[in-house]
Amino acid sequence: MLSAANLFCERDDRVLFQGLNFDIEEGQVLQIVGSNGSGKTTLMRILCGLNDGYKGMISWYGEEISEQIENFYQSLLYIGHRVGVNKVLTPIENLRWGCSLQAQLEDEQLMEALSTVGLRGFEESQCFTLSAGQQQRVSLAKLLVSPAKLWVLDEPFTTLDLRAVQHLENLVAAHADAGGAVMITTHHDLKITNLSKLDLG
Amino acid sequence: MTVGNSTPTSAAFLSTLKRDLLIAYRRKNDVVNPFMFFFIVVSLFPIAISPDADKLGEIAAGVLWIAALLAGMLSMDSLFRADYEDGSLEQLLLSPHPLYFMVLAKNISHWLVSGLPVVLVSPVLAYMLNLPAESYMTLFLTLLLGTPVLSLLGSIGVALTVGLGSRGLILAVITLPMNVPVLITGTLAVQQTLNGATLAFYLAILGAMLLASIALAPLASAAALRISVN
Amino acid sequence: MWLWFSKLGSPKWFYELSGRWLPWLVAAMFAFLFVGVVWALLFVPQDYQQGLTNRIFYVHVPVASISLAFFPLMAIAGTITLVWKMKLADIVVKTAAPLGAWFTAFALASGSIWGIDTWGTWWIWDGRLTSLLFQFFLLIGVVSLRSALEDSDAAAKACALLSIVGCINVVVIKYSVDWWNTLHQPGTDFVLSSNKANGPDIWVPLVLMIGAVYLFFAVSMIMSTRNEILERERRSQWVEELVDNL
Repeated sequence: MLSAANLFCERDDRVLFQGLNFDIEEGQVLQIVGSNGSGKTTLMRILCGLNDGYKGMISWYGEEISEQIENFYQSLLYIGHRVGVNKVLTPIENLRWGCSLQAQLEDEQLMEALSTVGLRGFEESQCFTLSAGQQQRVSLAKLLVSPAKLWVLDEPFTTLDLRAVQHLENLVAAHADAGGAVMITTHHDLKITNLSKLDLG
Repeated sequence: MTVGNSTPTSAAFLSTLKRDLLIAYRRKNDVVNPFMFFFIVVSLFPIAISPDADKLGEIAAGVLWIAALLAGMLSMDSLFRADYEDGSLEQLLLSPHPLYFMVLAKNISHWLVSGLPVVLVSPVLAYMLNLPAESYMTLFLTLLLGTPVLSLLGSIGVALTVGLGSRGLILAVITLPMNVPVLITGTLAVQQTLNGATLAFYLAILGAMLLASIALAPLASAAALRISVN
Repeated sequence: MWLWFSKLGSPKWFYELSGRWLPWLVAAMFAFLFVGVVWALLFVPQDYQQGLTNRIFYVHVPVASISLAFFPLMAIAGTITLVWKMKLADIVVKTAAPLGAWFTAFALASGSIWGIDTWGTWWIWDGRLTSLLFQFFLLIGVVSLRSALEDSDAAAKACALLSIVGCINVVVIKYSVDWWNTLHQPGTDFVLSSNKANGPDIWVPLVLMIGAVYLFFAVSMIMSTRNEILERERRSQWVEELVDNL
């Protein structure tokens, strides 16, 4: 569904990657690995259209991405280092806004998603009272209700506890099984069957 | 996987507007501070210049306009700041809707929260500064049309500088000169209507400025946000 | 046409071409400057109303008129930067902003020297000076935005955008300030037409000085652009060869 051809990116006179080619197909989980500073986050931001400092071609179902950006964004869910959770809003309010950009959902669905990620009882407390891991979970609740086919997750495990990590891994696997695709950076060893890796060195 | 209907842009616009109003309601400081700033700056003028009613009446319109302009500029800082820091801005950029409308929603909510209170209280301060009574309406209406323009223009500067760790005065250097046309029209309106000019003419000019900046400024802000988040 | 356009975008090509032009431009500039200055200072009859300082007019008018060209120049270069990502265009935006601030500051200074005779004071909130002053502020804004944003790619695009916004703004400011100051004396754009009445003795040196200042503008733009090209391309082969051949 998403393919990159001959990607080149340099930052501060240092080449991060060049001649990079890869495809992500439906049902695939692509783990991007590489040492710190190898450009994992930059690559993800480039693919999402947040960074345009690259050369090369990125296409979505065979058509160049900039030609159909709204289609692409309708199918994309990106969770970056900054998870997009406002601290003065409650989890439910955050989720309501975050999802409303892509899909119209009922509050019951959102509440259910929040309790699935373990935030039952915290739906109405402001996010600054929650721990970093709990805030991360608010953003992960989006995965449960979003219509997006492609998930782009940048280090989603960092603040999560062991059980949540396991839960997220299962979610990722289930999403791929259901025909979605996931792009993920992490230093964990993922126990997912249809996993492929892209090494940035 | 639960899939809802995809959102029309109008719904995303309203949702963003509602969210920002809710945040402002939770962060009451952001609402009260510009308002208090406006009040305090205006109160400094009689102390620095003279409590003499005639002198004050002469400068009242200019003082109120400049104080409104400064209050607006200082409050602008919060427009994209928190969203940039917590990553909501990235989510906004990745929404499948034209960024123009999302930025416009944020601008409108910001003006409702920080610009409108200043406009509403302006007649009281105009009275305290001894502005001629027949100018109240002029001042109020020109501020009502002019302060949104200041917000819209300021948002371009904020969007350009949102990635900077310490912005300090750079926002002021970039945005204050841009406000000159609005300032000129607003203060001239008060002076000239006292001399018998028709108010409608000035309101038409400010209205034209407002329409032009509604049409263009969010586009520039949106482009600036994409650059800043890069 | 397209080939020429993309070639122009190459800093190396520009560096070589401008290197060939530069001596001619400098020579022409000095020729205009010499004749213009000598004529303006020694042979123009002293204005019967105004004193010697009136001759600053031969500097002020050309400098003020060229300083109005900076924002349009930066807006055009900025548009090219944003649309075609051309390196050279960004270099133009970057070098034009501080240079424009200097030209505008010089126009303001020469205007105030002229003002001491015309109005009897160093500063007056005259429409022309006021809009130049705000143009100066806006240019300083572009310069300080550039220095505040360290990332050169983001800085390039941000300054390009601010230049476009600033250009539109300068025009609106100019009209509104003129309107605000409807009582000020007519702008100095009139000189060419109305001074013809005073005979060629007055306006020929002015034309020469305008030519000289425009050439000075071109020379200083080209020279600072060349500097910036060397700075940015310092790691490329052709610059290293250039340095080796010194």
